This record gives sequence, C-alpha cells and structure tokens, in this order.
Amino acid sequence: MRNIFYIAQWEFSSRFKTRSFLFSTFILPILFSLLITLPVYLITYEDTVSTKLIGLINNDDNDLLEKLQNHLNQNYKLDSGSPEYIILPISVENSLLYKEAYDDFMTTTRQLDSLEVAYDDLKTLREKYYRSGTIQNKQYLLKKSYDELIRTREFKDLVQLDFEYYKTHLDSIYNKEARVAADSLLIQNILNAYLVIPKMVYRSSSIEYHSLKPGELLDSERMQKILNEVIIQSRLQEASVNTMQISHWLKPVKLTRYQLRTGGSAEWDFYIEFYGAVIGVVLLFMAIFTSGQFLFSSVLQEKTNRVIEILLSYASSRQIMAGKIFGLGFLGLMQVLIWLSITSIFVFFNLFQAGQIPYLNAENALYFLHYFSLGYLLYAAIFVAIGAIFSSEQEAQQVNIMLRTIAVLPVLLVFLFLKEPDSGIITFLSYIPLLTPYFMILKIAQYGIPLSTEIYITSAILIVSIIGMVFIAAKIFRIGILMYGKKFTVREVFLLLRSS
Amino acid sequence: MLEVLNLSKSFDNTQALDDVSFKVLPGDVFALLGPNGAGKTTTMRLLMHILKPDEGEILYKKEPRSKLKRNLFGYLPEERGLYQRAKVLDLLAYVGVLNRLSHHRAEIEAIRYLDKLGLVDYTQKKVGELSKGMQQKIQFIIAMLHDPDILILDEPFAGLDPVNQMVLRDIVYENKKEGKIIILSTHQMSEVEIMADHILLLNQGRTILEGTLEEIKSRFKENAFYLESEDNIAAIRDIKDIKIIEEHNQSCKFAINGKDITKDKVIQTIFQKIPVKKFIEVEPSLNEIFIKLVQNGTGKSSKKS
Ligand SMILES: Nc1ncnc2c1ncn2[C@@H]1O[C@H](COP(=O)(O)OP(=O)(O)OP(=O)(O)O)[C@@H](O)[C@H]1O
Ligand SMILES: [Mg+2]
Repeated sequence: MRNIFYIAQWEFSSRFKTRSFLFSTFILPILFSLLITLPVYLITYEDTVSTKLIGLINNDDNDLLEKLQNHLNQNYKLDSGSPEYIILPISVENSLLYKEAYDDFMTTTRQLDSLEVAYDDLKTLREKYYRSGTIQNKQYLLKKSYDELIRTREFKDLVQLDFEYYKTHLDSIYNKEARVAADSLLIQNILNAYLVIPKMVYRSSSIEYHSLKPGELLDSERMQKILNEVIIQSRLQEASVNTMQISHWLKPVKLTRYQLRTGGSAEWDFYIEFYGAVIGVVLLFMAIFTSGQFLFSSVLQEKTNRVIEILLSYASSRQIMAGKIFGLGFLGLMQVLIWLSITSIFVFFNLFQAGQIPYLNAENALYFLHYFSLGYLLYAAIFVAIGAIFSSEQEAQQVNIMLRTIAVLPVLLVFLFLKEPDSGIITFLSYIPLLTPYFMILKIAQYGIPLSTEIYITSAILIVSIIGMVFIAAKIFRIGILMYGKKFTVREVFLLLRSS
Repeated sequence: MLEVLNLSKSFDNTQALDDVSFKVLPGDVFALLGPNGAGKTTTMRLLMHILKPDEGEILYKKEPRSKLKRNLFGYLPEERGLYQRAKVLDLLAYVGVLNRLSHHRAEIEAIRYLDKLGLVDYTQKKVGELSKGMQQKIQFIIAMLHDPDILILDEPFAGLDPVNQMVLRDIVYENKKEGKIIILSTHQMSEVEIMADHILLLNQGRTILEGTLEEIKSRFKENAFYLESEDNIAAIRDIKDIKIIEEHNQSCKFAINGKDITKDKVIQTIFQKIPVKKFIEVEPSLNEIFIKLVQNGTGKSSKKS
C-alpha cells in the first residue's frame, strides 16, 4: 500500500506542472468553448448587420404594404436605428406579356368608362324628357331614347364581361410574372424572401413565404407574427372597431418556456441547454483523456527507457499499475476540480450570467466528479493494458491515434443524439459501460430528470466493468511490461488471458 | 547465504538458463561471466524477482525469494534508463522511499552518495542534463541507497572512465567489508581478477566453470614457468623432462612434462646451470581460460565440491 501511494505521488507530481497538463487544463477548454460558441455569436451578429429586403406580390387591392412596413419598423430595428426589414413591391413593368395584357385591360376599361358615361347621359336625357311636359314628340323621344338606353346597357354589359375577363387575365399575368421576377431577385440574393398575398386575403388567411432557405426560421416566424397582427387589425378595422381598442386587444402574449425539473422549475434556454451538455461531455472527455494519455505514455515510457526494471525491483507490478492509475487519476481529479472552481467563481459572481444556468449547481458538480472518477478508472485500465502491449515509439504513435478514436467515439455518439434526443435510446446507451459517463453527463445537463435510480444502476454497471477490466489489465500489464522490442499478436493476448 | 538451486528459464524457443546452481557467502564478490547471450542478465533478473524461474529456487537465509522483502536487494540493471525529466535528488529520494526509507533519510543518503561520487553539484539538475557515465553513477546510487544486503550489479563498470571505475570499485569493496553479498557480471577479466572471490562462467545458459579464483587458476595451471637470466640461457635445452614453450636470448617459458620428476628437482637443476635473475610460476590468465572454455563450446562442467 505504501508503495502504491509513493508511486501515485511520483506520477502525479512529475506531471502536475508539465506544460501539457497546464495546456489541457487552462488553454484547451477556453479554445474549445470559443470554438463552439463563436459560430452562434457570428450567426446572430450577421443577422443584425444589414437591412433585409422582403419582396411583396400583392394580388389584392389593399394597403397591406404600408401597414406591414409600419409594423415591421416598430418591431425590428437594427443597432443603428434603421429598420431591419424593407418591403419591396415586386414590379412587372418590364414584362411584355404584362404590357399586352395591361393594354387590353386599359382599352376595355376606357371603353367601359365611355359606355358608362354614355349610359348615364342617356339616363339624364330621359329624365329631362320625362319631367318637361311641354316638349314636342315627347312620346316618340322617350321611346327612342329608351331603345338607345337598352342598347347601350346591353353593349355595356358585354364590355363589362370583357372587362372582367381582362382583369382576371391581367391579375393572373401579374401573379405569374411577379413570381418570375421575385424568384430571380431571390437567386441574385437581392431579396431575402418574398411574400405572395392572395386575393381577398382578409378572408382566406393564407400567405405564401418564399425563400432560398426555408429552414431559417427566424425571418419567416417574424413575418408570420407581423402578418397576423396586420391582418387581424385590418379585419377589426373593417368591422369599425376603435383603433385604440384594437391595439389593446392585440397586445401580444409573451410565452416563456419552463421545463419540469427536480428541485423546481427553471427557465429553459435552448442554447444554454445545448451547449451546456456539449461542454460538459467534452470536458469530461478531455479530463478522462488527458489523464488516460498520461497513463498510457507513462507505461510506454518506462517500457522504452527500462526504468520499469528498477521499479519492478522494489515494487510489484500490481503496485506499479495501481500507483500509476491512482496518481494520474488524481491528476485528472485535480483538473476537474480546477474547472469546477473556475465555474463556481463564474456562478458566484454571475459572470456571463452563469448564475442563472440551472444545472451549474453543487449537486451536479458531485455527479461530474463521480462519473469522471468511474469513467477514468475504466478507461485507465484499458489504457494501461494497451500501453503494456506495445513497446516502440513508432507503434505508440499509431496506438495513440487508436486510443483517441476509442475515447472520442462516445463523444461523437453523444453529439448524434443531442440533435434528436430520444430518451429510450439514450437510456439504453447510458448502460453501455464505455459510454455511461458521457451519456449520464448529457442527461444531467440536458434533461435534469430525477436520476437517482439511474445513477445507482449506471454506477453499479461501471463498477462491475471496472473490476473486470482492472483484473484483465493487471494480467496484461504484468507480462506486457517485460516484453521488450516485441509486440503481442491478438492471439497471444488471448492466450495470455486464458492461461495466467 | 544466498543459494541458487537448479534454476531454469526459457523464453519462447531459447533456453536462457539451464539448471544453474550456485551459492554466495556474505562478504563475497561473486562474478557472473560468459559470452553475450549466456544468461547473465537473465540470472540477475531472476534473482531480482523481475522474472519468475520455470524451475528451481532462490533462497536467502533459507527463505524462498518470493517471501523476501524487496528492499533486501539492490539492483543496477544492464539497461541504463532513468526518468530524464526528473531532478536527480527527487529521483533518488523516490526510489529510497519505495525502499522503506523515510523521505528525509533518503535525501540525506542520496546527498552522501552524490558527494562520494562527485555529483553533489548536480543535485537539483535534471537527469537528462547529465552525461551517460553520470547517469550510470546515479543508477549505482539507486542500487545501494537503501543499504541492501544483496547487491546485484549488471556490468557496473562498462562505459566508465578509469577514475570512476576505481571510485565504484572502492564502494563495492566497502560493501564487501560490511559483509554484503555482491553479484556482478562483467566482460572485463582484469576486473574480475582484481575483485572477484568467486566465479561462475556461463555459456548458453549452462554453468561451464565455477569456483574461487585460486581454485580455478590452480585447476588450469599448466605447470609452466618463466625464467629470466643475465646471460644467455641456451643451456636450458640440455635439461631433461621439460618442454620449452617459448625461448628468447635471455628468457624462456617452459613446462615440466616428465612424469616421475618433481618440480623441486627440476628447479634445482636449473639453478645449478643458469644464473637466474627471475623465476616465477606462470598462471593462466582468466582471459585465456575464458576463451579456451567458450571456444571449446561444450566445456567440461565442473562443480565445486
Ligand atoms: N525478454 C526476453 N525475451 C526473449 N528472449 C530473451 C529475453 N531476455 C533474454 N532472452 C534470451 O535469453 C538469452 C540470455 O540472455 P541474457 O540477456 O541473459 O544474456 P547475457 O548473458 O546478459 O548477455 P550480454 O552479455 O549480452 O548482456 C539470450 O539468448 C536472449 O536472447
Ligand atoms: Mg546481459
């Protein structure tokens, strides 16, 4: 026991002040946090930097354009104070098809107008005839003008039909041509999106939103919200409701999302939940891997420089292995404790509003330590065994890459499930010993569900696998560390495990 | 007393040691000799319990090796490896503490030895900053820092300058005087002739010669003599019962080969005929014995009675 302690102490202190430990404790987490949070800042930054043009194809005769622009101006402003959105009516004046249809339409309109004038003139004339009793040929004039009136009306009705036809035609041409124009503006990135307003929009309540990236929810959701306001307001106005009353009625409801948690509800924030889990899992990975890497290189180094012969003279292979595992485990624990202290400083002084992040609490810190310790022990046993099997530096390079892959796979798996959390699969995966620590940290940060039974189960699974793995590793280590300049084949490892 | 009984050890297909037995008494320097690959290092690793024998036993004061405390032994391995980034004193204290010294005591002993070996200025230096020979001396200190009963030194003087060899040799002598058991291996026969009390010559894992230095020398004595005179020694040719091995103007080497003749009688005759300046019995050098036995390959297995 004494020797385990001294070996542990030696391993710890000979690496505690090394550059690579300091780097992975202080620099790496900062770099990593920047790396994953920066894109978020960049996206939001880009969003507010320039005015967005939204095209408008209005198939209805209304003042939607003006109202929309007003509402948007009130709600969304850039930092500079200028409006974030500008509504641009899509013009089709350059389209030949539209021009033709427009000419036809105008001709009919003019014709209709002149007929209406003529019809009205006739009506007034007849009235005059009718009123004046002194006129000659009154009956004849009345009869004649009556015929004229009927004829004009019939003609007017016909032209009216024409007019209707040309109007519909013009509208449909406008709709078609405007879409073509808007699409090309969209492709040229002049427009961010365009809206298509149907006829009688107040009744139909359906508006199209076109953009190159419909997945970008921010703009479309804003448009929906504003259009809703504008249209409902207009409907109310039509029903002659008082404007004051309208704005009172339409006062928006703000929805704040809460999630049920142990120890009360707390505000839910997607980014914090998402990145909290990611950072937690990656920090766990870094802690386990830093110490694991040290452990691996420590075993390998003693094999290559043969210090192992001196050590084996004065300590048993079991003591050496245990000393290394505990010493470097303590190093990892130190790293985690440093991180936890930094975090608690953040929380205490509420830097970056860390104090409002619900999962940054003492209980979860203990869970982190718990899963770090168990996870480390499991990986440590594996790393020790692998380190004892290989001997040359060159092989070590390859093995190192292999270890990295082994260790990073669970993290990748966690990321996979971060996008679409499915508690069934995650629970299942959290029962696989190599994945357990990562998935439990994910759960604790992301779900905050009552976990006590799960913590007992996963801890039990981990402890059993640690005991098994340590047992295997001790066998491999005992024989492997003395095998110089020779590597095991997979078969030999199996034989070795079966024999001794 | 350290007893090694019928030790055998094989790796894969090579029989590194085959039925080797020997005993070492306290205060004895026991030299393991043999060509490369003979099994010296393997023997030492078995003694250090780093390897386990396939067969045979190691007893110290009648206790089997596995029951013995590790700190009874001190080992200078053949492979000179140390933690290159550790500080000299820290490293020595670490090994001392592993061997049940208190930290304080370990440091004091370390500094005492560093001083003795002229390394006291390097106490706070990193091991990697030391020369190869200096590092070897550090390893030497590691082996004896905890004052073990049994010192096992694998080629302790290889690669050291003559002055340092002498310093280390003196330290080995001190330990010998204190009644320690010292087992060393070497390829330098001159060293063995100076230091060793007892010799074991291994070849291909087998003992081919064992005994004290005097025993071995007398066993391989060829009854040869060396004679030097101030005059010409041509008269030597007239003497019967001797065979001249080498002849120069004023000196010669010869062996007595008559069966009935005694040494004294021959010497008398010679002294009567030739004015003798120097007359000594020629002993075979260990080097010659070594080469002869190893080249013969098989070599008669001879054991101490
Ligand atoms: N770990 C090992 N694995 C396989 N074979 C080994 C191992 N150690 C030693 N051997 C073999 O055992 C034999 C004896 O080796 P050993 O190192 O004991 O020789 P030695 O007498 O110390 O030689 P040298 O004078 O070169 O140091 C050699 O044939 C060697 O190849
Ligand atoms: Mg050797």
